[in-house]
Amino acid sequence: MAGLAVSYAPSRFPNELTEVEVKRDTSRCISCGSCAAVCPFGVHERRAGFNRISKPASARCIGASCEEMAFYCVNHCPRKALSLVESPQYRTLGDRRWTRDLILGTWKQAETGIPLKGRRYEIGDSGGGFDCIFFHFPKEGTEARSGRAGEPISTELELNRRTGPQVSIKVPFYGGGMSFGSVSLTVMLARAKAAKACGTFTCTGEGGYPDALKEYDAHMITQVATGLFGVSEETIQRVKIVELKYAQGAKPGLGGHLLGDKVTPEVARMREAVPGNNLFSPFPFHSVYSIEDHEKQIDWIREINPDALVSVKVSTARDVDMVAVGSYYAGAQIIHLDGSYGGTGAAPEIAKKNIAMPIEYAIPKVHEFLKAEGIRDKMTVIASGGIRTVHDAAKAIALGADGVVIGTTELVALGCVRCNSCESSRGCPRGIATTDPELSKLVEVDWGAQRLINLYAAWQQELVEILSRLGMRGIEELVGRYECLRYAGQSPAKGTEVRI
Amino acid sequence: MPKKYSIEVIPAASRAKPIGKYRIGRAAEDCISCGRCVNACVYGVHARREEDPRHLAEPLDQHCKGCFRCIQECPRNALTIQYSDEYLRLGDSYWTPEIIATTWYQAETGKVPVSGAGYGGPFSGPGFDAMWTDMSEIVRPTRDGIHGREYISTAVDIGRKLSALTFDARGSITSTIPTTLTIPLPIILNTLPFGRSERVLDALARAASHLDTLMLVDLEEWLRRAPDAHLVPFISREEQRLPHDLLQGCPMIELEYHSAVPEIVKAVKRESPETIISVRLPCGERVRERIDAVVSGGAEVIHLHADLNGQEARSVSGNPYHLKDVIRAVHSQLVDLKVRDEMTLVVSGGIALAEHVAKAILCGADIAAIDLPLLIALECHDCKDDRTGLSCSTSLEDLDVPWGAQRIINLLAAWRNQLLEVLGAMGLREVRRLRGEVGRAIFAEELQREGFEPLFAQGVM
Repeated sequence: MAGLAVSYAPSRFPNELTEVEVKRDTSRCISCGSCAAVCPFGVHERRAGFNRISKPASARCIGASCEEMAFYCVNHCPRKALSLVESPQYRTLGDRRWTRDLILGTWKQAETGIPLKGRRYEIGDSGGGFDCIFFHFPKEGTEARSGRAGEPISTELELNRRTGPQVSIKVPFYGGGMSFGSVSLTVMLARAKAAKACGTFTCTGEGGYPDALKEYDAHMITQVATGLFGVSEETIQRVKIVELKYAQGAKPGLGGHLLGDKVTPEVARMREAVPGNNLFSPFPFHSVYSIEDHEKQIDWIREINPDALVSVKVSTARDVDMVAVGSYYAGAQIIHLDGSYGGTGAAPEIAKKNIAMPIEYAIPKVHEFLKAEGIRDKMTVIASGGIRTVHDAAKAIALGADGVVIGTTELVALGCVRCNSCESSRGCPRGIATTDPELSKLVEVDWGAQRLINLYAAWQQELVEILSRLGMRGIEELVGRYECLRYAGQSPAKGTEVRI
Repeated sequence: MPKKYSIEVIPAASRAKPIGKYRIGRAAEDCISCGRCVNACVYGVHARREEDPRHLAEPLDQHCKGCFRCIQECPRNALTIQYSDEYLRLGDSYWTPEIIATTWYQAETGKVPVSGAGYGGPFSGPGFDAMWTDMSEIVRPTRDGIHGREYISTAVDIGRKLSALTFDARGSITSTIPTTLTIPLPIILNTLPFGRSERVLDALARAASHLDTLMLVDLEEWLRRAPDAHLVPFISREEQRLPHDLLQGCPMIELEYHSAVPEIVKAVKRESPETIISVRLPCGERVRERIDAVVSGGAEVIHLHADLNGQEARSVSGNPYHLKDVIRAVHSQLVDLKVRDEMTLVVSGGIALAEHVAKAILCGADIAAIDLPLLIALECHDCKDDRTGLSCSTSLEDLDVPWGAQRIINLLAAWRNQLLEVLGAMGLREVRRLRGEVGRAIFAEELQREGFEPLFAQGVM
């Protein structure tokens, strides 16, 4: 993707969270400035006109790897006043799926546009699924790896394998549905701008289609979900892809949730609802109880916009494979599987944890079922719900998806810490998942778009490297290549036969 | 259509100072009292001192939600955030701080816990965490239960249900139809593992009666109390001499399993044929054999109980079974014996969250009996002090009875609503249909076996 304009986009806060903290014992320090003189990264500063040296800017420190360096400040301090310690913030950040390293790593990539190496930036600590699946690369120098070394590598993905308009994306991922109301207009604009710059798409979610997104129409997907909030013929006609959302991975079997606190007058206007009221979308579409009904719904979209692709977003029920086949016969071009550990602006905790299966199991199930039906090459399979890194994305593709959808990762790139507080009061205290007029000012459109472009660029670069190490020249070659993967997890206890 | 059941929630604030998840530290030597944290925090953690606004007050970290904004905005980098020790000390590795905190929240508000961002926990885990529940989309209907748009029944029956009726030549029913009890939710209150003070039991009894469910109480306690159809006496193996006269009119009793139980069952049935008899069996050694004995002995209810962590109490193998697996085995056994509808299966031990009720029923239970969550709802910290002879630090014994009852009612209202979410997502209109419906459950070991093992046949790394 030549020409993806990466540019440095640092954190919008003065204190970036870091792994290490440079500690200065002020009772020992004599403010001699030796540290400031040696550190090439500007952690220490001895400002003219001040009596004392500044507090160390830990965010600039490169951490423990500096120990080997000639310019390691700790070794240069004549008073032994400096030390590197693990920052208490670092210990508090993150959870099992989004570990502190994944959050900080995503931030760093969004800041610099450079992929980070090392397993801690590739997997989380959930103990299953993607966190236990690894690529098995052919050895360097072998025919399998280097046989086609000169050929260019493509990450482009064609989204329509049936008749109708051709729509392709430059990278095999696009942005998931996030409604106006769950996130701010600024965030929607930043995502749209990044999608345009990267030759991919982003999705409006179920909350209307703000006019401000007009200039990005060619890169927007609009969602038609069970609440039909803000859906009109005009919004369906504006886009190249319409997503029929039957279910969402974070709350399968339940409709969208937008709690009253976040239903501001603007949100209410867009959704044609009353400000301050909880907006719970119904579940399911009460007009769809069979594949025939589903077909009618797709026909309805086609009638309004014959040029749009139809994507069907479903969650990972036991019979998701049959639903996928049904969707094919109903006429959809894209089946979008949203796994049970997907993101959300608000969902009951019982649903997030317990309903439907993780995406890792659903992808090969659907892939195999479509193959057996002889229609795999006619249907585009998109996976989402727990894709945190480009490695997850590549693993999902190797398990049988054509591409992936990302949501939480984009928000993390914009500075989300996953504090799980998007749902109530004024919404996100970091200004992302909020429509509070004051809080949403914390994010600027251009800065946000740049962070996303940087992340996409880092992902694309890493993806090219993965393909290259596998000896592949196009992302489509990776689809369903289980043999490239190894499973390193423990098998759960075999059987449940109770012998007592 | 029977009357629709709903539980009215009245918020019942906590008595004790809330325990926050985080601790915010402010380094006094670095802070310049600029007040930027006051503006940054949307939860009111930071404020200026009332008596001296030139300085900042101690952070009110119980309000902190861990957004890190003050930390990142402080111009002097003077703030730190850590998990609070008090929070981390709550409970243990099974009854985690998260479980205790969410139980408190539900007991206080009666609300279904809702939060933003995706699930952050482990992929799967032992016991109930090794399964997921199914949902319906497109090809199967769902039910919109939680917001009251469609009624989903959570009523269950206790007692023997005949699989078929018999008729005489004139078409009149000749079968004797056994009595059954119907309770409006598949949750009953178990005997307590500790903390059985008078006020606690009063609060529970009051809640049980309000909710119209049952409460198991020790015989001695039952004898002390005024007659109440919601109280079920539990008769331990030490109390083999039954107060037969008291059983007249008692709808249900529970006996602890021992070898003489079949004799006692017969004796009770002679005196009071209407009384439903439950037998409490440890989830453990020789459970199948004992169930055969209970079934043939004439009791109608099996109460299978595991330890507080949902495990087989005294495991012989050293690798204890989880309640979930034993429920599945017992359910299948009852199906094989062709008596599944003639027996009611109550389970207890390790039922810590609403999801565990749904999953236990999905595995084959009819009813869950809960114990420790009741005490936690009353603000127990599960500190284990009682088990070392120390007095209760939250003074459970002094609680206000109506307040305590309301906390229990709120908790069960929240649990019932979560059960409705699960049932609705599966498209079930009543909880009776959920029982043993393993075709609508997703077990981790099955997915692994059928899904991953063929894919990764080349072996593990």
